[in-house]
Amino acid sequence: MAQIFPPWSNKFPLVAAVAGPLVAVLAVAGVWYFFSPWYTDVGYRPVQPVAYSHRLHVGELGMDCRYCHASVEISPVANVPPTQTCMNCHQTVKRDSELLAPIRESIASGRPMRWVRVHELPDYAYFAHNAHVAAGIGCVTCHGRIDEMDVVTQMAPLSMSWCLDCHRNPGPHRRPVSEVTNMKWAPPRDAQMLMAQLDRERPVRPPMDCSGCHR
Amino acid sequence: MSRTYWRSPAQLEDRPEVRPFVEREFPEGASELPDGVTRREMMTLLGASLSLAGLAGCRRPVEEIVPYVTAPEDVVPGIPRHYATTMPFGRSAYGLIVESHEGRPTKIEGNPSHPSTLGASSSRVQASVLGLYDPDRSQTIRLKGEAKTWTDFVTAWKPLSEAHAADGGAGLAVLSESFSSPTLARLAAELRTRYPRMQWVTYDAISDENRLAGLRAATGRDLDLMLRLDRASVILTLDADPLLTDPEMIRHARGFADGRRAGASGGQMNRLYAVEGVYSLTGAMADHRLRLASRQIPAFVAALAARLGQAGVEGASVPGVDQRWIDALAKDLLANRGKGLIVAGERQPPAVHAAVCALNTFLGNTGTTVTYFEPKDAALPSVSALASLVSAMQAGTVTTLVVLGGNPVFDAPADLDFPAAMAKVAHTIALGHTVDETSSRAEWHIPSAHYLESWGDARAVGGTVSVVQPLILPLFGGRSAVEVLGLMAAGQDRPGYDIVRDTWKPILGEGEFDKAWNRVLHDGFLAGSELPEVAPDLKGDLFAELGRAPDLKVGPTPGDPTPGGLEIVFLPSPALHDGRFANDGWLQELPDPLTKLTWDNPALVSPKTAETLGLAGQDVVRVDYAGRSLELPVWPLPGMADGVVALTLGYGRSHAGRIGSGVGFDSFKVRRSTAPGFDGGVSLSKLGRTHPLSATQEHGSMEGRPLVRETTVAALGEAAHAAPADGEQAAESHGVAGQLGVFPEKPPHFSLWKEHPYDQGHQWGMTIDLNACIGCNACMTACQSENNIPVVGKVQVAKGREMHWIRVDRYFSGEPTGNPEMVFQPVPCMHCEDAPCEQVCPVAATVHDGQGLNVMVYNRCIGTRYCSNNCPYKVRRFNFFNFTKDTPDILKLAMNPDVTVRSRGVMEKCTYCTQRINRVKIDARLAGRALGDGDVKTACQQACPASAIEFGDLRDQESRVVKAKSDPRNYALLDELNTRPRTTYLAKVRNPNPELEGVPA
Repeated sequence: MAQIFPPWSNKFPLVAAVAGPLVAVLAVAGVWYFFSPWYTDVGYRPVQPVAYSHRLHVGELGMDCRYCHASVEISPVANVPPTQTCMNCHQTVKRDSELLAPIRESIASGRPMRWVRVHELPDYAYFAHNAHVAAGIGCVTCHGRIDEMDVVTQMAPLSMSWCLDCHRNPGPHRRPVSEVTNMKWAPPRDAQMLMAQLDRERPVRPPMDCSGCHR
Repeated sequence: MSRTYWRSPAQLEDRPEVRPFVEREFPEGASELPDGVTRREMMTLLGASLSLAGLAGCRRPVEEIVPYVTAPEDVVPGIPRHYATTMPFGRSAYGLIVESHEGRPTKIEGNPSHPSTLGASSSRVQASVLGLYDPDRSQTIRLKGEAKTWTDFVTAWKPLSEAHAADGGAGLAVLSESFSSPTLARLAAELRTRYPRMQWVTYDAISDENRLAGLRAATGRDLDLMLRLDRASVILTLDADPLLTDPEMIRHARGFADGRRAGASGGQMNRLYAVEGVYSLTGAMADHRLRLASRQIPAFVAALAARLGQAGVEGASVPGVDQRWIDALAKDLLANRGKGLIVAGERQPPAVHAAVCALNTFLGNTGTTVTYFEPKDAALPSVSALASLVSAMQAGTVTTLVVLGGNPVFDAPADLDFPAAMAKVAHTIALGHTVDETSSRAEWHIPSAHYLESWGDARAVGGTVSVVQPLILPLFGGRSAVEVLGLMAAGQDRPGYDIVRDTWKPILGEGEFDKAWNRVLHDGFLAGSELPEVAPDLKGDLFAELGRAPDLKVGPTPGDPTPGGLEIVFLPSPALHDGRFANDGWLQELPDPLTKLTWDNPALVSPKTAETLGLAGQDVVRVDYAGRSLELPVWPLPGMADGVVALTLGYGRSHAGRIGSGVGFDSFKVRRSTAPGFDGGVSLSKLGRTHPLSATQEHGSMEGRPLVRETTVAALGEAAHAAPADGEQAAESHGVAGQLGVFPEKPPHFSLWKEHPYDQGHQWGMTIDLNACIGCNACMTACQSENNIPVVGKVQVAKGREMHWIRVDRYFSGEPTGNPEMVFQPVPCMHCEDAPCEQVCPVAATVHDGQGLNVMVYNRCIGTRYCSNNCPYKVRRFNFFNFTKDTPDILKLAMNPDVTVRSRGVMEKCTYCTQRINRVKIDARLAGRALGDGDVKTACQQACPASAIEFGDLRDQESRVVKAKSDPRNYALLDELNTRPRTTYLAKVRNPNPELEGVPA
């Protein structure tokens, strides 16, 4: 009677013992990384209908974030500017630029621009820009060095654990409210003293409960 | 005091059909799909589609940001704006503050400074925002069914108007609903100048014509009245329902509740006597309720007048009514001269209204608890005018009929046969929200603009001139009655804004008009524009007419209803009114306050009458009345007068839209112009089939426990004296709490769980005063609007899947076949400090937050429903389906952007309006101020016309909620379970007349 299992099958348990855990670890690690917003979301840089360059406008021309995103201090929503805001300058500056054709068309036709959302939270998460700005969280903290981006790119995963990291210990992420839109601000050498001062002037207790953001 | 409370006779007798609702969180089969696919099969299907979908769903869908082209001034994305406006409703008007998110109205609240709402609202007011976005609203002008434009109509109107102008408008007729509006009145007068011979007819299917006629008979002129329940100590309602179906219910409820509250805190509590045939919400609130068929009310008034010493009615009595009852009532009224109030129902004949006016004046109540004023800028309803219009239409003398709103084809009395008469009119023009029964038969149909889309004005009761200010341009190009009438009256097409401003120029004065106008727009009304009170000058002998009421003697004797002697009563629907709100899903699904039925209008009879006739609930009967018949199911409602069949109007529409068409039964089919309120001579015959009805009365049952508690004023007073000053424990064992059925000893608190700290930040809590709650359901609709709660439909409601976060439980106590009392109890999530739901959730989808809120995290929920099974209060709602999946896009505009729209398979429940808490907290923080008491109002609290709900921070010792919780009537639901609920109740207090103890009613 022939052998059912060939001789090499004797090695199978050994191989399985070594490879099994390895595959399992790789699978877990793979899901851990590739299914997380660190992989799926960070670096997202969709093509926009107009190749608006934040590097040019903010970095080189030095415009303040709030010139366009005017409601960021008072509203939960940091508005994307109406077409009219673009035209405030561009009816005199670069008025014939080919790149600005969609803007001119929008203002002429009354049809709004359709920008692609870069920083997108799930519908069940409610983020309030006004509360964060008032607490002295800089734009750069979540959005990265916008002033160096030609195409806006998502720099942070915007995941819940990432939010909570800061909510659990907001101190190191705070800055004077006057510096919120300053892209180049760096904490002073005695950062601890600034933290203590900010905490004294305006103590913050960011919510760590579900109801803080989910409604 | 030991009472047995029950929700239905079936539950009282513990019949098998109610056991599933008691024993199981959801009845058997609740998790099956509607078309018969079982859950297991569904899982198989889901598995297959998941594997097909693969990993394509890893990257989220691309979302666009669409900013304005030119941003409107003052609109900041993310910050809602609020505008004052007015919802006209017949000759009433509700002053409102409407919330608008980026230009779309989403939530309606009462205007706190407006006398008609005082900041509160009603179900209909709340639900009217859904009516704005109704996808079935008419979207185009039609000429014989073909789409046309407004310009086409204006062009077509010109030759027509010239033809009519030639003969003074002899062939022109306008049919309107009643209104009270300076602009409409001005235009109507201009129209009359232009066409002096035209007919203007005003018809309301549900009208106060009898009251107007009665007051006209009593005083010789047209008078409106205003009830001031807040000033009344003794209230008698005669077949009347000032607390629910009356257009002024918001103001009435506030006044009534104020009088109840005063009594519970040591002052004088008002006492309400209700004499009625059909159980009404007012009857449910009554301290003494007498069941009496509508036909016997005139005799009752005569007997009461006799007892009050009025001439012309000597020796009058009512068969079957204990004379001691009337004696005690008369004594109470006499003892409270100037503080009493008698209210007659709109169904009652003019003679009753005239007599009631005389009695109120005799008792010194006129000028205090009831005030009269002359209606101004008003169109008053008249059925007889409609009848003569119909005969003119039949005769062919009317060549152009303009239906300026309203739906007469549906709701005109059946004996007039309005549709046939309308067919004989050469040109018919109908203004309507939908292509309804009338519009579909009209030559021209003009889509009507919603009140949130149009300019207008209205006088609220009492005369306060209020402005109707649009929040949005007409979504479907609708025109308002002002604009259509403006075109007809002036011959030129002008925007409503200009027309309304023209009216207001003389009111506000030309000088500083724009300044004053802006003030009015800001406030929503013109302060100080009330009409002067009028002292009625009564004619003699107003009681003689009572005896001449024809049907007086043939009324069924209580206890012996014979089919030949049954009485038919027509009721306005508390939700749909005359059918105009039939396509509003929120209102269709709102359980009727009394029957707890949704999506239907069966004939209501008393259990005894049902027994006599051999009928059970859901049995279909044929109602034969005056040569017409209607087939519909019956529903026994305990507490109805025997021998009375009540038909609810407004259902059974054929052209309402996809929600309302074919829902319920059209009671207008048997309603006659000679007896729009009630009549005798109806018979019922059983047809041997049944029609399933969806009632929520057994849902959420918490069997046999002391859930509602009540006491009496007398007991409350004694307890207050007896209660020792030191502490809660003693009060609970000896005082009021003991009497209320609270456990003599509080069970020891012991928790296996790590306890949450409750000594930091805000700690939210709520009280619901059962003594103030009138059970009107305004809280339910407000919650639905605020929290994006879906409508599930009749079939799903029958399975216990309704989604309302707050329900209003209704309990009876007493004999089902007799005259049981009713108690209402709103039940939202209790936000237990030791919440049983949290302990069983395997995925921590329901957890506690630092403010004491029991929060539900939708995105964690996997739908095990363990939490719901473990909730002793049964307040959790499960999304068995993706109820919002097929929501038309236009309806999505009504959604609150601050609240997540839930998907299939997740649990949801009351959040204490956490989105409002968050918004107010952030706003206060930004403004650098601390939160004050009353800054956060939950949707239910804000809407409640009775102010029964208090909400606030339990750590703020000065807050109203803390004060309410220190009331001895405060109790927690199922306290013995030690869940330590944050929502507690204040026991109901009744104020019975000691002289009526033991007197049968």
